[in-house]
Amino acid sequence: MTIDKQTDGAGRDGSTAGRRSPIGFRLDPASGVPVYLQLVQQVEQAMRLGYLKAGDQLPTVKDTVAALAINPNTVLKAYRELEHRGLAGGRPGQGTFVQGSLGQPALPQQAELRRGLLSWLRAAEAAGLDEAGAGALFGSVLRDFYGRPGQAAPDDRGRAGQQDVA
Amino acid sequence: MTTLTAVPPAAARRPVPWPRLAWVTWRQHRAALAAAAGLLAAVSLYLLIEGLLMRGTAASLGLGRCHLWAGSCAERAALFQDQYLGVAGLTTTLLQAMAGLIGVFLGAPLLGRELETGTFRFAWTQGCGRARWALAKMVPLAALVTGAGLAFSLLLSWYYQPFLAQRVTSPLDPQLFDLTGADFAAWTLTAFALGVFAGTLLRRVVPAMAASLAVWSGLALATVLYLRKHYLAPLVGHTLALPRHGALPWTLHRWWVGPDGRPMSASEIFAVSGRMKNAVGPRGTDADAARWLARHHYASWVSYQPASRFWPFQLIEGGWLLALALLLGAATIWLIRRRAA
Amino acid sequence: MNVIESHGLGKRYRRSWALRDCTVAVPGGQVVALVGPNGAGKTTLLSLAAGLAVPTAGQLAVLDGRPAGSPEALDRIAFVAQDAPLYKNLPARDMLRVARSLNRQWDQPRAEARLAELGIPLDRKVGRLSGGQQAQLALTIALARRPDLLVLDEPLAMLDPLARHEFMAAVMAAVAGDGISVVLSSHVLAELERVADYLIVLARGQVQVAGEVDALLAGHRLLTGPAAETTQIAERHPVVHCQPAGAQSHLLVRTGAPAAQAAQDWPGWQARPVGLEELVLAYLREPGAVTPPPLTLARAGADSKVRG
Repeated sequence: MTIDKQTDGAGRDGSTAGRRSPIGFRLDPASGVPVYLQLVQQVEQAMRLGYLKAGDQLPTVKDTVAALAINPNTVLKAYRELEHRGLAGGRPGQGTFVQGSLGQPALPQQAELRRGLLSWLRAAEAAGLDEAGAGALFGSVLRDFYGRPGQAAPDDRGRAGQQDVA
Repeated sequence: MTTLTAVPPAAARRPVPWPRLAWVTWRQHRAALAAAAGLLAAVSLYLLIEGLLMRGTAASLGLGRCHLWAGSCAERAALFQDQYLGVAGLTTTLLQAMAGLIGVFLGAPLLGRELETGTFRFAWTQGCGRARWALAKMVPLAALVTGAGLAFSLLLSWYYQPFLAQRVTSPLDPQLFDLTGADFAAWTLTAFALGVFAGTLLRRVVPAMAASLAVWSGLALATVLYLRKHYLAPLVGHTLALPRHGALPWTLHRWWVGPDGRPMSASEIFAVSGRMKNAVGPRGTDADAARWLARHHYASWVSYQPASRFWPFQLIEGGWLLALALLLGAATIWLIRRRAA
Repeated sequence: MNVIESHGLGKRYRRSWALRDCTVAVPGGQVVALVGPNGAGKTTLLSLAAGLAVPTAGQLAVLDGRPAGSPEALDRIAFVAQDAPLYKNLPARDMLRVARSLNRQWDQPRAEARLAELGIPLDRKVGRLSGGQQAQLALTIALARRPDLLVLDEPLAMLDPLARHEFMAAVMAAVAGDGISVVLSSHVLAELERVADYLIVLARGQVQVAGEVDALLAGHRLLTGPAAETTQIAERHPVVHCQPAGAQSHLLVRTGAPAAQAAQDWPGWQARPVGLEELVLAYLREPGAVTPPPLTLARAGADSKVRG
């Protein structure tokens, strides 16, 4: 299935009267993460936080490209990746729409998890860890946890990131 | 990669129409055209007013009834000329350069400015192509310049007509010939063509103006001083045999021939004129002097172009100037075509 | 379809060759970046493609085999020269009308809509617009011609960062909306990585690198390791550039191996992918290094004729 960009059917000036996407992309040029991945991550993040629900439209290729001054192929690549992950699908002549979900826990569980995190952070602060220390500790445990056998490799396909492969 | 949105159907293969290109020329050069038109208009207005004034004076002097410009006619004509001839002479002298100035002023920046400022990189990459673009600039302006020149010549001929009628000047006289008939238009067109060519060759407007004006002046001088005398073989005859009425012929060269049939040198003429003055005496008239000279077989000869050759000469000069202008135009197009960015 | 195809293209001005032996096949439907130092021949190549100049040697065809500078090519290629030449004494409205009068294809509503969007007043003289606005006006005119190929010669050189961003955003939007091909040159690399699909590197009048950006980046690695082992690596992979750093050296090698193989192939060496700017700089520092020509040219090379 191909991903379609939205055609100009809705209006010459690009306005999509009533069919705007809830989100807009932004770029972090210094992050070292490939642009298309940044877009993918932003979609996933938006889905996690509830800004995007199934059926919402993703920003059109043209709008994205006009705002960020990036190659349209990059956006298409991002949308293909989302499709590959089962998170989005294209409707011919209309655009790309969110499908499926990230398998997020329900809202009460999210609140529960949030409280758990906060109490951990309070304990860390009491133990003398500052923000950077807490982040480093958490990051290390995070990597160990997800680095255990059976987990997917980190993303490093496509355009250059500055990741060491040793 | 992406799907093409609907593009308007490709325009028919016919090239960009000339009226559109003519509008572009007009829009780009209307200021220069207005300036040139303004100058011509100002001069024309002056000529018109002066001409009407002159005719009024001539009428009041009763010069309209004169046929042979002798006797009282001559005196009244002298009055008229005293009043107006000086200014008219100055006017025609000043106007000699106008053809060159207008032509060069319009011609040099026509293509030269685009080459100088780099806007040709815009113009030559548009759909119409550079040759068509250049032609659309050159042809309308050339036509305008020629038309305006012809109209101006008519006005100037009208203005100067009283003096011609009074046999003050020959129509073929250099000062007048350049401004009348088709000559003014032809010289303006040539200046224009020179300016356009120089602008294209040199790619700078001011140097092109200077160079083309210099060349034009040289050409004009060469023509007036030498070339024009020889379009048709000059006639040779006795001064006294020249027609007494009608338009004045153009005298090229005058000399005296002695009894032996040879042309006389300056010293000989001086000697003879001394003897003639002695013989005729202080109260002798011109007629007495003439009779003495005739008795002694001294004759004045002149080589001249009759006034009837005015139009043939106009056509000859206009013809070769036109050919030159066309040649320069073709050379300009050739330059444009092969000029690299 | 190849938007620009040349075999042995060369251009000589007076005595020196601005461009020499240039053989490229630039695919359509892409954004092509032409980079190189000043005087490398970028403007020459683009001028030849736009029909402003005539080749001294070699052949050039644009838009699938049409001769450069022919009426069909002029119709379909919109060229914006360096410094966006426009008639500075005309108001923007008349500038549009001039462009409309010089072209067979023209989309006036689109041009006016764009200018309105950009806030460029139609009554103001072009010369009184800011640099960014003039560049946008030139781009608007180019796009209103509905070209198949847009050629931009150093379009960003005179623009401030905001104007640059807006200009490139407009170009990308046109690519997304109309599917036009774009060839743009720049001597500033950093801005091109986000927009280019295809890269051509010109240096001293010759093509050093030509290829799709993704393929180029996937095909090169930056290896860091003991300087003593440099020659061993060089025997197995073409080394584009070697940068000594004390006891270590950094090598840019051309290889198709995926990153995960590094540990086995090059023990003791670290490998990482290379960024576009790094890649181009390495090639520019090594005049002799050249990427092999793409396969699409293989058949063309056999029947090329060199003129002059």
